[in-house]
Amino acid sequence: MASSNVQRHQIIQRTIAKSTGDVADVAVKLWQPLAAQLISIVGEGGFNALYARSLHLVSRQYPWLASGTLADSDNPEFKALKSSLENQSAADAGQAILAFLILFTDALSSLIGESLTTRILTSAWGGAPDKDSMEKESR
Amino acid sequence: MNNAVTIRRLKTGIPGFDHLLGGGLSEFSFNLIAGEPGSGKTTLAHQIMFSLARPECRALFFTVLGEPALKMLRYQQQFSFFDTDKINSSIRFINLADDLLKGDYDNVLARIVQEVRDYGPRLVFVDSFRSIVEAKKGKNEGGSDLQLFVQNLGQQMTSWQATTFLIGEYSLSDAQSNPIFTVADGVLWMSQKLLRNSIVRKIQVIKMRGQPHVPGLHTFRINLDGIAVFPRAVQPADKVDSATSPFIPADQRLSMGVPILDDMMGGGLPAGYALLLVGPSGSGKTILATEFLAEGVRNGEPGIIAAFEKSPNQLLSRKLYDLVKTGQITLVDTRTLDLSIDETLYELTSKIEKLKAKRVVIDSLSGFELALAPEFREDFRESLYRMIAVLTSMGVTIVMTAELEDRYTDLRFSSYGNAFLADAVILQRYAEVEGRFNRVISVVKVRGSAHSKDIRLYDIDGEAIRIDKAPFPYEGILSGRPTRL
Repeated sequence: MASSNVQRHQIIQRTIAKSTGDVADVAVKLWQPLAAQLISIVGEGGFNALYARSLHLVSRQYPWLASGTLADSDNPEFKALKSSLENQSAADAGQAILAFLILFTDALSSLIGESLTTRILTSAWGGAPDKDSMEKESR
Repeated sequence: MNNAVTIRRLKTGIPGFDHLLGGGLSEFSFNLIAGEPGSGKTTLAHQIMFSLARPECRALFFTVLGEPALKMLRYQQQFSFFDTDKINSSIRFINLADDLLKGDYDNVLARIVQEVRDYGPRLVFVDSFRSIVEAKKGKNEGGSDLQLFVQNLGQQMTSWQATTFLIGEYSLSDAQSNPIFTVADGVLWMSQKLLRNSIVRKIQVIKMRGQPHVPGLHTFRINLDGIAVFPRAVQPADKVDSATSPFIPADQRLSMGVPILDDMMGGGLPAGYALLLVGPSGSGKTILATEFLAEGVRNGEPGIIAAFEKSPNQLLSRKLYDLVKTGQITLVDTRTLDLSIDETLYELTSKIEKLKAKRVVIDSLSGFELALAPEFREDFRESLYRMIAVLTSMGVTIVMTAELEDRYTDLRFSSYGNAFLADAVILQRYAEVEGRFNRVISVVKVRGSAHSKDIRLYDIDGEAIRIDKAPFPYEGILSGRPTRL
């Protein structure tokens, strides 16, 4: 469990690290395909419930993160999330978005399992699972 | 020349299920999996999907309102057939709840059609469509366009080059009135019935166009490997024809493993007979049945024992244990309280075929009856009749034990008159003589054969039965008041 957990966390870390540009933009760029992927499988209701739950958890550490799910009219396309990130330093915003994604996927994984979660994550963020590099890393 | 279109049958590999369908699902058919909540519809659909889906035979699974998709994925993963590797490569899940909530069916239908066109699946599942009905009702909109929607969906589904499934909650009365049942090529009905404390799951193929499915209700079980169906065993029609049934020479006899008893029976138990061994507790029924199996092993005839009375460890006498260990005797352990006769029979027939078994022991009928779910106890006699017919048609010889209280005021051979089902009956009994319990044995019936009418004393010596060579010199044993002759 611990090692596969780390694998998913690494994917998140690596993807954030690889991304260039403003943290707030990166956050939206990561959330949107993930949301699309997940909504197609579990529906918007399912996605929003998970999103709200992990937002609640992560806001203990980062209380400035905007609340609200895709169901709220003032948060289309993660607009509220974006603007709350924009008000922070790049470092803080980066930390927060990393923690948020990790918590969110942890919650997802606790429901549908690690392998399915990783599969959804990788297909949302760039095609086939990066198997070779993952295997290399695990060695 | 036969120009009829050949319909490919998709073998699902679900135990017993393909047989029920008459060979498998027909390709490009439109099927309805209907039943009450909790009857196993989604599980069956998933099992079919994971078993058939491959990169060249992709599957699309639409979830509607029914079960939240997250939960569905969570729970379905517990089954061994759920293969995460197939997801996205050969299986896609699509949730339609939002489209449905937003309103109109045309959109939902358009979305389904679009997704099917884009993905090009060979298998399509829509789960579950009763909820579509309910959603519409909740909005107080006319039920007729809903009917129309399901109809349209059905029409669409038949036109894709795909094998399609609608999964939905329906009551059996819908089957008569709902047009979707007419459109469908196949209708599978799943149910669970509660009686006293046990649940019995049943599946019925109401309709399967163009193929000889097995009619009737069949029990199934859901365990961690998914669904296993136990097709209701009926004596196969081709076996009724004596030309194809296993040839048993009319005069072939099987030794019981106790020579004196063989003599009493007129030369052993005729092959293909069902023998009922009746006696009170402790009279040595299991020991005699073990002798019967051991004798088979000595003659190179593998045997099977279905043990309902005791746990295997308790059951296994040293002798039986050694036989089981050599692999020549197989134990069918069946100690649950919600069995169906068909489940047991399925186990027995598949083991008989596998091992080419010649001898079968059922120990005991009383235990068997107790192990059955209450629902099946009601027609125990009928089922037993069917079971004996199926087993003997396979050419095996059966020994069934039955425990009976010793009642000296009436002579009975088994509860509910099961004795008439037996071709031969052996009775064991206690007789009180000179201040001790004596065991006596008698051959009551051997159909179509001369047999001894003696009542003889016997004893159990370790694990063997020793029968006296001469009749017990008392009369009135059966009435409980023996007097010396």
